[in-house]
Amino acid sequence: MQAGVAALEYYLPEKVLSTGDLTAEFPDWNAEKIDRKTGIRERRIAAPDECSSDLAAAAARKLFASGACRPEDIDYLLLCTETPDHFVPTTACIVQDRLGIPRTAGALDFNLGSSGYIYGFGLAQGLISTGQASRVLLLTADVYSRFVHPRDRSVRTIFGDAGSATLLTAEEAAEPLIGPFVYGTDGRGAANLTVPAGGMRLPHSAETAIDVEDEGGNVRSLDNLYMNGGEIFLFTLDVVPEIIDRLLKKAGVDISQIDSFVFHQANQTMLDHLRKRVGIPPEKFQVSLAHCGNTVSSTIPIALKDAVAAGRIPQGGLVMLVGFGAGYSWGATLMRWRGV
Amino acid sequence: MTREEFLAEIDQLVDLAPGTLKGPEELDSLEEWNSTAMIGLIALADTNNRVRLSPRQIAACSTVTDLLKLAGVEA
Repeated sequence: MQAGVAALEYYLPEKVLSTGDLTAEFPDWNAEKIDRKTGIRERRIAAPDECSSDLAAAAARKLFASGACRPEDIDYLLLCTETPDHFVPTTACIVQDRLGIPRTAGALDFNLGSSGYIYGFGLAQGLISTGQASRVLLLTADVYSRFVHPRDRSVRTIFGDAGSATLLTAEEAAEPLIGPFVYGTDGRGAANLTVPAGGMRLPHSAETAIDVEDEGGNVRSLDNLYMNGGEIFLFTLDVVPEIIDRLLKKAGVDISQIDSFVFHQANQTMLDHLRKRVGIPPEKFQVSLAHCGNTVSSTIPIALKDAVAAGRIPQGGLVMLVGFGAGYSWGATLMRWRGV
Repeated sequence: MTREEFLAEIDQLVDLAPGTLKGPEELDSLEEWNSTAMIGLIALADTNNRVRLSPRQIAACSTVTDLLKLAGVEA
């Protein structure tokens, strides 16, 4: 059996944080420059009582409401998040109960950032092709805004909260509908995109909550998200062209045969450069972050859904998905878009 | 890419009119020399000169001329 994408939805929290809101709060921040460099005009911010399970469940409810399937049809739930509701239990178990997914279903969280959607596809493909599951609900959800220090421009202008839901089903197909998969991991980059405190290695304390201003004027504590933008950019230059090349070789296809490219939507500057570096025509390259920002593992499904809605992905088109981020972790795959 | 073209690109990165920067300027004196400009510089050197600049190398530069040397635009 082959795994194929049967439905896709996403959910954004109600609260909007526009660039105008940020510059009203910090008059020395330049709105035009933020919009131009990041490509982001609005970010969505989860309410104080809204957690990853809520965003994931809201996206899944949209998917069920679309008529794609019923909760009782799901036999495996995968939830990608770096901001779980609790350390224990797994957020996927909470979501299973809330959505009314059968007790006979498997459910697990996996902790990955912006590469997570690709890994979720890989896991779903493995579950389906080995007969362990026939209808996998792949959810992504993060509330990164909880980690962001309000006075850290380097991340506050970029990250937003979101959830997505993708239904992958077992299909009788002569050729794979998703895949092949290529992956990459380099833990040497762990410190370049991290929330240092709050886990077992460094629990929250009065010391970890102390604000420190860096040389660029950004303020954060060890409890907050830290991103070394330069190092992250360098990492993407190293791995993205290489992984695309590796994927094309593994699939035995030429880059000209790809109809659409959906990369992790990191920010406009990075996307522009990667597109040119790899040699992708602008009309084949999906950019969709102006209305929601960088939503970590949800960026690829959001950009994919928006591209489909705008008619930018042809029926039967070959789509390349590329994820890269915290870890460092990266991955890429191909999917045949069948029009869901 | 010529020295002048590269300088004009740096002008753009730090929101100055093309032709403003000449080389001897101290980076600390440029109001818009920040992490965003640094990322733009990494992209610029990668695209035009196929030179991979690290943030650590860039942070060690004091002047615009230092950046030109690092990017292989000036000996």
